[in-house]
Amino acid sequence: MNGGTPPAIAFREVSRSFGGRTILNNVSFEVAPGEAFCLIGRSGMGKSVTLRLTIGLIQPDSGAISVHNDNIVGMDEEALSKVRSQIGFLFQSAALFDSFSLHDNLAVPLKRLREKKPDEEIESIVQKSLDDVGLGKDGHKMPAELSGGMRKRAGLARALMLSPSILLVDEPVSGLDRVTASEIDDLLLRVRKRDNTAMVIVTHDTREARRIGDRIGVLDNGHLIAVGGIDELAKNENALVRALVSEAQ
Amino acid sequence: MRSYLDFIGNIGLFALRAARRVLVPPFEFQMILRQIEVAGWKSLPLVLASGLALGLVLALHTRTSLVQFGAEAEMPAIQSLAFFNEIGPLLAGLLMAGRVGAGIGAELANMRATEQIDAIEVLSMDSFKLLVIPRIIACSIALPILTVCMDVMGLAGGYFAERATTDLSIQLYISRAFHSVSWAAFVPPTLKTAIFGAVIGLISSYLGYTTDEGAEGVGRAATNSVVISSLAIILIDVVLVKAIFFLFPETAI
Repeated sequence: MNGGTPPAIAFREVSRSFGGRTILNNVSFEVAPGEAFCLIGRSGMGKSVTLRLTIGLIQPDSGAISVHNDNIVGMDEEALSKVRSQIGFLFQSAALFDSFSLHDNLAVPLKRLREKKPDEEIESIVQKSLDDVGLGKDGHKMPAELSGGMRKRAGLARALMLSPSILLVDEPVSGLDRVTASEIDDLLLRVRKRDNTAMVIVTHDTREARRIGDRIGVLDNGHLIAVGGIDELAKNENALVRALVSEAQ
Repeated sequence: MRSYLDFIGNIGLFALRAARRVLVPPFEFQMILRQIEVAGWKSLPLVLASGLALGLVLALHTRTSLVQFGAEAEMPAIQSLAFFNEIGPLLAGLLMAGRVGAGIGAELANMRATEQIDAIEVLSMDSFKLLVIPRIIACSIALPILTVCMDVMGLAGGYFAERATTDLSIQLYISRAFHSVSWAAFVPPTLKTAIFGAVIGLISSYLGYTTDEGAEGVGRAATNSVVISSLAIILIDVVLVKAIFFLFPETAI
């Protein structure tokens, strides 16, 4: 790691199975503060599971997972909650709360977590966040009224409400047209540049991985079969890695 | 057989988890009030209409039999005892299992399928405390109130049926209806519905909260919530009726 700075995220020999099927098998990697690490691979190879393990939504069968040097494996709920407050998570479906307006979806983290802020201040922070993702005039809308791209942008705004040092992003552009996908990528790049946020981005879109990622990891059959920059991976001896990366070139 | 035992065991563990968390702050008062509105206020029209209709039908049926024995004057007392002791509590419970249980099961399963429950956890909130506990508390508060409303409408239905055939005054009807009803015959059966409500909230929340079948699980959770909650409250009713007879022997007719 850079000059002794602890990694934002570290996986050490992490394994996880579901119903007898090994999804991750002794996977190890690190993500430095401010680094964007993209995970690519075929469907069902454990990319989203990796994100869920990182934030403690599921526990590994073996191995250690550290977030800013805190091992979250076996951590109690209270301690895990503190670790989670440093992490933002953009879900594949955006996971906006159906029964809340867009404005209230964004206000939830501020109302529940931080020391009680005046309503006017919460209002101003929420409005600024909505403006940042281009949804300034849509705060009153319910999630069902939003398009796929708007939902993703709203989900991103909510994930960033507490200024996390780590952002986990699950398939940010799946199901979106190329233009909207590019807008989401621009937002992610802007966030990274502005806040120096460490990111783990799970994606099927290798063009996106090339554009955003400092390093790319390829998961296949439970193993992290390659990690490196896009040019490095293009010369990898594994045909699958070369095939995945060639799509981006 | 093993899967049934697994299910009962898991429900038991879920209930224990709820019992442990219910007294731990933060207390989600706003969510509880919101759920009371959903479970109670929005169920009120259904309960009122059902109570009135059942009161009418019951009175029409019992009157025919009572006339044969010259005991039609007892109709208001029979109506009140039937509703206070059993029909009101059980029917209100079954209606809530149908309307509210299905709603809770489907809503939580949908939240699970669309990752909203994970999103709550990720935002450092306790999804169990936020989603499950308020629903159990709300059901156990709302159901006794709905039961009283059903009892009142059942008596009203009985009066309308009686009024259609006789000149019985409302004062005399009420006097006869309450003549043989003691507090012991009214309070325990009404309060037992708090347990019915908790069981409906618990089972429906369990089925919705723990589903892992994606969109398919939503429909299954809704259906199973109704079926299992209804069956559970009927079975629990048998036990509670015996318990009430034991604790309040004067209520055993």
